[in-house]
Amino acid sequence: MNNIVIGQYIPGSSFLYKMDPRSKILALILLMVTTFVLTDIIQILVLLSVLLVILKLGGIPIGRIVKGLRPIIVLLFFTFTFQVLFIKTGRIILDETLHYSFYTILLAVGVVLFWMITKRFIKFKISYFLMMIVGILSIFMYYPIGDPFAQGQLVIYTGGLQGAFFIMVRLIIIVTLSTILTLTTKPTDLTLGLEQLLKPLSIIKVSAEEIALIISIALRYIPTLLDEANKIMLAQASRGVDFKEGKLKDKVVQIISLLVPMFIISFKRSDELANAMEARNFVPGNRRTRLHILTWQTIDTITIIITAITIPVAILLRVMLG
Amino acid sequence: MITVEHVSFDYHSQPDVLKDVSFTIDKGRWVSILGHNGSGKSTLAKLIVGLLKAKEGSITVDGIVLNEETVYQVRKKVGIVFQNPDNQFVGVTVEDDIAFGMENLCFTREEITKRIDKYAKQVGMEDYLSKEPHQLSGGQKQRVAIAGILAMDTDIIIFDEATSMLDPIGRDEILAFMQQLKHQGKTIITITHDMKEAVLSDEIIDLKEGQLLTHDKTKKVLQDKVTLNKSNLELLPSLKLYHKIKEAGIVNEELRDYLWQLSLQK
Repeated sequence: MNNIVIGQYIPGSSFLYKMDPRSKILALILLMVTTFVLTDIIQILVLLSVLLVILKLGGIPIGRIVKGLRPIIVLLFFTFTFQVLFIKTGRIILDETLHYSFYTILLAVGVVLFWMITKRFIKFKISYFLMMIVGILSIFMYYPIGDPFAQGQLVIYTGGLQGAFFIMVRLIIIVTLSTILTLTTKPTDLTLGLEQLLKPLSIIKVSAEEIALIISIALRYIPTLLDEANKIMLAQASRGVDFKEGKLKDKVVQIISLLVPMFIISFKRSDELANAMEARNFVPGNRRTRLHILTWQTIDTITIIITAITIPVAILLRVMLG
Repeated sequence: MITVEHVSFDYHSQPDVLKDVSFTIDKGRWVSILGHNGSGKSTLAKLIVGLLKAKEGSITVDGIVLNEETVYQVRKKVGIVFQNPDNQFVGVTVEDDIAFGMENLCFTREEITKRIDKYAKQVGMEDYLSKEPHQLSGGQKQRVAIAGILAMDTDIIIFDEATSMLDPIGRDEILAFMQQLKHQGKTIITITHDMKEAVLSDEIIDLKEGQLLTHDKTKKVLQDKVTLNKSNLELLPSLKLYHKIKEAGIVNEELRDYLWQLSLQK
């Protein structure tokens, strides 16, 4: 349990690391707004290349960004498909009739089965999945065997492709932006930055300090609770619970046998922690000094100015280009 | 100085956990509060730091009568190290945890960093300041907890079974710290059911089912066969032998003295 790293922080020393977390969070929000204001494919590609330059200068390996993109691959795929199928502007680049007959559907099912069986041996899972989709489509388009009982049209417009590409780049930019933030900022600094930025919320009686304390205690207890969960799983396994195998129904029961003790233990822990905190003079809502403070430097001001300027520029470009 | 007068306490609807307990602990003394599970010894510790409120009676710490208004003043004087090393580690890192109490007391940042260095060194954790709790052993976590209490500069430190979840090495480390702190003039209260820990202290308070059985100098308690029998304490073998020999009327001063000395070592 000694190697748990919370968050994605990787140590480094470039300018991205020296920046104040507050300015990084603000810059992230500003650039996200810009990304949404831009509607032109060239402009958004320019923004993406600027981001790549920043990555290079900031010494962040591209591989880590790609890793960050992995969870949204499904989302990317669906948005791409929907854009391609439903935007009907521009030139037609593909117009094919799809033949649905007994044999073509049988063939398609065969392809899917083949994909399901072989996918575990293939390393490039996503490309393999795309190949399967293309394979099925070409069966319907180019092998009209048997009597079709229905026919469909697959029409792809240039506008659809463009739109799909645009949305993908936009999503990639947003994920890259937030990955840069989490890669270069320690969770504790992030919490501290968030706390400072949320301070104005005290007007509506939301205590930023308490939110930050909650987050930092949660972060601190993740490894402890993971350790605990491991112990309980071992204890339950020694009583015959198998967490790996079994049907869904069994799995639910198994998870309950883990969750209930976890809940009870967590409540006990929080009670004791509350006692320990109170005994060390903690009073919620009271003023406290802070060991760690954030320092705002020139680079932070410059960053904020530059990122803030991108918004009016983006709006201007949008208006001018209609 | 802590004065406990006629204190009773119950956790709603159950029989009293503490029944009319009174004692005084003088400044600079090391006092062990002994007793079996459910004897009310941990409850007593929580009452002294004001985490629980006594049903009857009063507690006075350094002349301040503990009540809802004075509880924060009292907590500045009394620090407490709890049993579970994990459940009292508030900070994300060692440094943050030592600082926590001082942050609450609104010390200046310079003062906080100065004291972190000083007390981390005293407990031998100066190389671990940026480490996270899951990278530390139980004993190390308890040392951090002690540093956090020392940094607040409380006169009185309560160890609420602080060694019971540690391995023998960790336990001996903490015991050594207790002795060191005693020499620095701190008042120490250790709550324990470990006789090895108790023989190191100056005085013993023995609780049984919420009632005060004895309160006397450690040596006196250990020599008094009658009270020892009443309290059901798990005695060290050497002490048992000492009493057996004494009872049997065997007159060998040298052997008796030797066994007695042996009983007082950790």
